[in-house]
Amino acid sequence: MLQTIIQNAVDAISLGSLFALTALGIGLIFGVMRLINFAHGDFIMVGAYALIVPSAADAAMMFIGAWPAPILVISIISVLIVVALASERVAFRPLRTADPSILLITSFALSFFLQNLVLMVYSGRPKGIPLWPNLIKPVLVGEIRIPQLHIITISVTLGLLILLVLFLKRTAIGIQMRAASEDFRMAQLLGVRGNRVIAVAFAISGLLAAVVALLFVAQTGTLSYKMGVPLVLFAFVATVVGGMGSLSGAVLGGFVVGIASVLFQAILPADMRLNDDAWVFGLILLILLVRPTGLVAVKALQERV
Amino acid sequence: MSDAAMDRPDTAAVRMVAVVRFFWTPIVLALFGLAAVVIVWASGDGVLARTITDALIRTVLVIGLYIFIGNSGVLAFGHIAFMLIGGYAAAWFTMSPFKKSFALDLPPILANNEFPLFPSAVVAGLLPALVAAIVGIPIMRLSGIAASIATFAVLAIFYTVYSNWDSWTFGASTLVGIPIYVNMWIALAWAVFAMFVAYIYQQTKFGLALRATREDPIAARAAGINIPVQRLIAFVVSAFFMGIAGVLQAHFLGSLIVNGFWLGITFLSLAMLIIGGQRSLTGAVVGVTMVSTIVELLRQVEAGVEVAGVIFELPGGFQELGLAVLMIVILIYRPAGIMGGLEVPWPFGGNRRVLAGGFTIVHAERTPASE
Amino acid sequence: MAQTALQSGVANTPDDTLEAFDISVHFEGLAAIDNVTIAMKNKEVFGLIGPNGAGKTTLVNVLTGFQKPTQGRVVLGGKDITGWAPHKLGRGGLARTFQAVRLFRDLPVVENLEVAAVGTGLGRREASKRALDILKWMNFEQKAFDQADTLPYGEERRVGIGRALAMSPRFLLLDEPAAGLSDAECDELMGVISRIPDRFECGVLLIEHNMRVIMGVCHRIHVIDSGKTIAEGTPDEIQANPEVIRAYLGSKSEESRA
Repeated sequence: MLQTIIQNAVDAISLGSLFALTALGIGLIFGVMRLINFAHGDFIMVGAYALIVPSAADAAMMFIGAWPAPILVISIISVLIVVALASERVAFRPLRTADPSILLITSFALSFFLQNLVLMVYSGRPKGIPLWPNLIKPVLVGEIRIPQLHIITISVTLGLLILLVLFLKRTAIGIQMRAASEDFRMAQLLGVRGNRVIAVAFAISGLLAAVVALLFVAQTGTLSYKMGVPLVLFAFVATVVGGMGSLSGAVLGGFVVGIASVLFQAILPADMRLNDDAWVFGLILLILLVRPTGLVAVKALQERV
Repeated sequence: MSDAAMDRPDTAAVRMVAVVRFFWTPIVLALFGLAAVVIVWASGDGVLARTITDALIRTVLVIGLYIFIGNSGVLAFGHIAFMLIGGYAAAWFTMSPFKKSFALDLPPILANNEFPLFPSAVVAGLLPALVAAIVGIPIMRLSGIAASIATFAVLAIFYTVYSNWDSWTFGASTLVGIPIYVNMWIALAWAVFAMFVAYIYQQTKFGLALRATREDPIAARAAGINIPVQRLIAFVVSAFFMGIAGVLQAHFLGSLIVNGFWLGITFLSLAMLIIGGQRSLTGAVVGVTMVSTIVELLRQVEAGVEVAGVIFELPGGFQELGLAVLMIVILIYRPAGIMGGLEVPWPFGGNRRVLAGGFTIVHAERTPASE
Repeated sequence: MAQTALQSGVANTPDDTLEAFDISVHFEGLAAIDNVTIAMKNKEVFGLIGPNGAGKTTLVNVLTGFQKPTQGRVVLGGKDITGWAPHKLGRGGLARTFQAVRLFRDLPVVENLEVAAVGTGLGRREASKRALDILKWMNFEQKAFDQADTLPYGEERRVGIGRALAMSPRFLLLDEPAAGLSDAECDELMGVISRIPDRFECGVLLIEHNMRVIMGVCHRIHVIDSGKTIAEGTPDEIQANPEVIRAYLGSKSEESRA
């Protein structure tokens, strides 16, 4: 009994970590650009597909995926940083002053573009790939079996969060990013280079996407060109629930959504379980109605009369 | 100032011109639709007829979308829920009991009956409007982005429930056997109706009040406007037309599948509205026309293009790719959309104001969406 | 041509009053407003002055429903309206302008006013007529159909005032209408403000930093500093008040000699 509870708890926190990292990626860009990057899920997807040789064949052959772990990780991170920066340069920079709805549709279009590009090159069939299969093996903690991967996911997430906090509070560029999130114009007037801050936000976002991609693929072992969609949907919702414009809110929202997901799966009777997504969204609706600005209200977004 | 205009004789002719001028936008758009349908009908091309019917159904959908998003400025993501509700309601009312018995397990009043097509369509459109009224009461109090997400949550809930509600929707499978009667004339009729309703709404004080909330909610409240109420009105009217779009879709294809009412059509409908220009009715119609045309062209290219005797065939996904690229390009050059918030211009010159039968008409160098 | 208001069946009456009793507003321990009481009458121009950050706009926000007071009551024509939502107050006869003007940018000037008229319950046609009447009165009808965001700064502010007037208010609250205006524009503004009470049969609350405007049009002035009342009286009394001079006028330059 205790075993099940703890296993579920670890499950929940692990899933929450993935959502939190994804939500963070979305939140960083929203902070500096007021853009909700729906393509973020597809960045993750592209990072995953970079592991295999580009081909439409059924069986996937490992490409970067076959390289030693440290080089693999650095390569995927680099790939996604490039993808993210390229997206910013080509699709978002020309529209920087546009309406939020325009930016949103553009990110939709970008997402569409990436999905269909991958579809064209790799075909639409989901492919199985074994990435670090040893990590699925459980580890005994006391009497409880916990998959190593969950432990790694949670620790990596924790580590990244700490690094990010240090970055934002202690480094010059991090402080500039926070200033730009509060008030972009004012930050520019004070000498902050808008282009650079936005580029850094995208780069970090790419990094986070890469980490999520690797953890996600290690966990599920499959690639499909639509794999980014549920991730970005839930992460987006998490960002709003947590409080748009707040990074801690994004993280909190990610955990809330992840935990709620696993919780509903665990406690709902079997016949209702199919609808567990509906329950999660129902919970989200409830949270929004009770706290419309999200769990962590952000002063900067509240208008002065 | 306007006295010169007031001095004009108030004859029947002058009044008629004033009325035409007032309704100029929907008249022109309706005629445009009519012209397209007539041309296709004259050509006798069955495939083209189906394409244009599809486009007209999308027109109803996007006009419905516009009524809410264009006037309120709130970018709702969940609108397809209303199309879903309307479509399946149409199936419940109009499918023959015999066909229903194969796939569905409905309560007797639906399972044993088959209701007339037109009343069923109207009721099937009113059902999502009712849902909108109910969920809208709490949701319209939320700020812009929270409201957008909340509407998406509503869509996700309906989508998930309908996907699993085997007895009423046949679950994730395709429900077939819905009576097919929607051709391009019927779709056109509904589209024209939608155009006029949308236009009249935006001319009333409700449309005006809602647009003010879009511009500056704080000033609007100070001006005496109850924001949630105004948004709710537009939300409900818009849900009706989106429900009708679902009904038309059901009676056009003869089949329904829950998966067809999810992200793809959400993205496509929003794209059509925003590319055309979300702040005007003309924008909505232009957006549908333009994107439908592009999609059609790309589909032809994907099917195979002959160049110098050689056939080029492009891999699946090219059509969507092309659309995505085109959208990004259009948005970069016309961020306010193609129409940029303008309606159809009145080509006959003339100065400021004409009062006709209680309506006010305004013409200036720019013709903003409200006139 | 006198305008009578017909919102909610309440006409502008000569003995109409707008009062705020013991208003306090606390933000996280800090008192933005501390026990302020004001009372103004119909057809009076009532000035509210004080150094920057004194709490003037917060007080207007309390009066117009955008800020709930931590303590105190607001009474309009004898009716307690404390805590009423802004749109309800708008319909009830309280109109205001904003420091940031907040015009409806995409709409033409005339529709900016129409919206306010519609907000008080008029139909579109009557709202349109009232809007044009007011624009004519303000000598602004030639730009009635221009889009609001094409206007220069000074004209924007005029439209803001016109929009508030379109609500046929019982009391009009103007939040720093003279900010950023040239001397000539200020004179014009003073002319408009002084003609409002008779034309619209309403009272006017005027927040301003520009002493020339304040001293020129106000019947009575209320001075607050750091959220507290420090004086109230006629322009002459205020100018001679040592407390006021010390807290506010003393630190200012030439403008204090109106």
